[in-house]
Amino acid sequence: MTDIIKLFYSTFIDNKFIILFSIISIFIIACGADGNHPGYQYMPDMYESPSYETNSSNPVFKNNSTSQYLPKNSIPRGFVPFDFDNTLDDYLRAGNTLVNPISYSETVLSEGKQLFEMFCAHCHGKEGNGKGSINHPVYSAVPSYSDSITPRRSGEPMNKLKSGHIFHSLHYGLNAMGPHASQLSQEERWKIVHYVHKLQKNTND
Amino acid sequence: MYYFCVAKVKIASIDMFKNYNLHFTLLISFLITNFSFVSSQDIELGESLFSSNCASCHYVGPEEKKLIGPGLGSHTIDKYSKDWLYSWIKNSSELIASGDELAVAVYEEYNKLQMTAFPQFSNEDIDNILAYVQVRPEEVILSSNEDLIDNVSDNSFSSESIFVFITSLIILFSCLLTLIKAKNLLKISRGQKPINIFSGINNFIKSNPAIIVFFSIFVILFCLKTIWDGLLTVGVQQGYQPTQPIAFSHKLHAGMNGVDCNYCHSGARHSKSALIPSANVCMNCHTYINEGQISGKTEIAKIYAAIGFDPETRTYIDNYIQKPIKWVRIHNLPDLAYFNHAQHVNAGGLECQTCHGPIEEMEVVEQYSPLTMGWCIECHREEKVNTDNDYYHEMNKKWVEKYHGEDINVNNIGGLECGKCHY
Repeated sequence: MTDIIKLFYSTFIDNKFIILFSIISIFIIACGADGNHPGYQYMPDMYESPSYETNSSNPVFKNNSTSQYLPKNSIPRGFVPFDFDNTLDDYLRAGNTLVNPISYSETVLSEGKQLFEMFCAHCHGKEGNGKGSINHPVYSAVPSYSDSITPRRSGEPMNKLKSGHIFHSLHYGLNAMGPHASQLSQEERWKIVHYVHKLQKNTND
Repeated sequence: MYYFCVAKVKIASIDMFKNYNLHFTLLISFLITNFSFVSSQDIELGESLFSSNCASCHYVGPEEKKLIGPGLGSHTIDKYSKDWLYSWIKNSSELIASGDELAVAVYEEYNKLQMTAFPQFSNEDIDNILAYVQVRPEEVILSSNEDLIDNVSDNSFSSESIFVFITSLIILFSCLLTLIKAKNLLKISRGQKPINIFSGINNFIKSNPAIIVFFSIFVILFCLKTIWDGLLTVGVQQGYQPTQPIAFSHKLHAGMNGVDCNYCHSGARHSKSALIPSANVCMNCHTYINEGQISGKTEIAKIYAAIGFDPETRTYIDNYIQKPIKWVRIHNLPDLAYFNHAQHVNAGGLECQTCHGPIEEMEVVEQYSPLTMGWCIECHREEKVNTDNDYYHEMNKKWVEKYHGEDINVNNIGGLECGKCHY
């Protein structure tokens, strides 16, 4: 027994092995990520991709960005341009002429509901009553879809808004509401229009 | 001492009844400045009418503080007669059509934007709103997010208490040392041998080498464990919490204001990447919200500087050279592993929080999960496949037949195959 202790003593303590050990462990603790320090990597070339990733900077383009605008006068394949301007006249024209290209069905309505809750409900409320979760005063006076009294921009109250009106304001925004064309495809916007029509019929405000 | 206590109690009571106090001073100041009798009932009614009908287009404050229309206050109201205001608010477009000079001037000034008509308001309602608009100072806007301010002060309190704890420990320790020193002085004066703690401990250890061995074994095991754990964190960025160029708070936006994750990260449903929102998405709200409670004004100004927006006139500056906001990437899988957000969000039906943790409670986002292969595999072994998914209708039918209606986990349908993620 005493021999083992002596052996241990001579290898670890007399040779200062233990000190080396603690120093190594202190260094290795610093490998982990914390705050602004992302931690160390073994073979970083596996992590730092040589190809340019979404949203990464990119020296190939003049503005150093991977995200680029479309070339001028071009449209993506399958994209239908929206032939209305952001003016009152075109807003009224959209209401009178546009027809929802997506036919109504229960699945479309449930998809519209999902999209509505992602993109609209925080201001317009899940019931479309204008009582959303945003607590800033600017977004405290959002009108209810089922409001039948106050005439809006179209000359009619909220519950009489037509599909084209709703689509136009989703595309360009209206008053304090911003444009949502970049976040929602046209198809998704038309699905939301279906769901808004359903909310317009709500009676219990 | 007594006066000091009283002062403290007073401060506390002011804090507790801040809202009440504010209302009260408003009322008093209004009565003094106007010398006319308006009951507090009117102002409260006006406030509720204003916030549910007018606040989305008008701030209360100086006229330059435009939202959609001008900032409202006594300056706007004094310009016009009561009757004119009644007919303007009830139906502005009618007034403009009748050729009223004042009305046409306002219409032209605001780029021919029509104000919503409010025919349902009675003259009394309008009086209440006007009374409220004249009285309300700008501080009311600032009180809307009081929770946030409270939370912040809570945090600073906890760091203070740690500081107090450490200092009290140091004081205790130094007291102990002075006590020993005093006792030693006494002993020396009596001609006795003073106590020396350190030499005492030293002698004890020298006479018992087993203690050294035991202690060093403990140290060595501890070091081995830390080295092992440390090596496992190489390449794992769990806990990485970098400072971002804009101090965007997910807690404020996703938590307190309840904005859905998909609103800004609109790529999560469609593509491999969840996408960092471009600044135009920020501008959907921040065209009109220019200031916050803590550092909002300076941080929101950084968005404006990036895209060239003038918050005074609420217009974009022509020919502005836009500067991208350089967000720091937190979650990064190595190139050898493929991960697709759309697959997990649409087909898997996962909540964002499953992998990203309670983002809606994070002031500064950190990497919550290790994102190691073991972590991926563990979930693929445990998660059940939703066989009601329409998109995989045909495939799901086959799986259900194959497993005779038993629960199907992701690993049963090839969730552990190497080629699914590494190719």
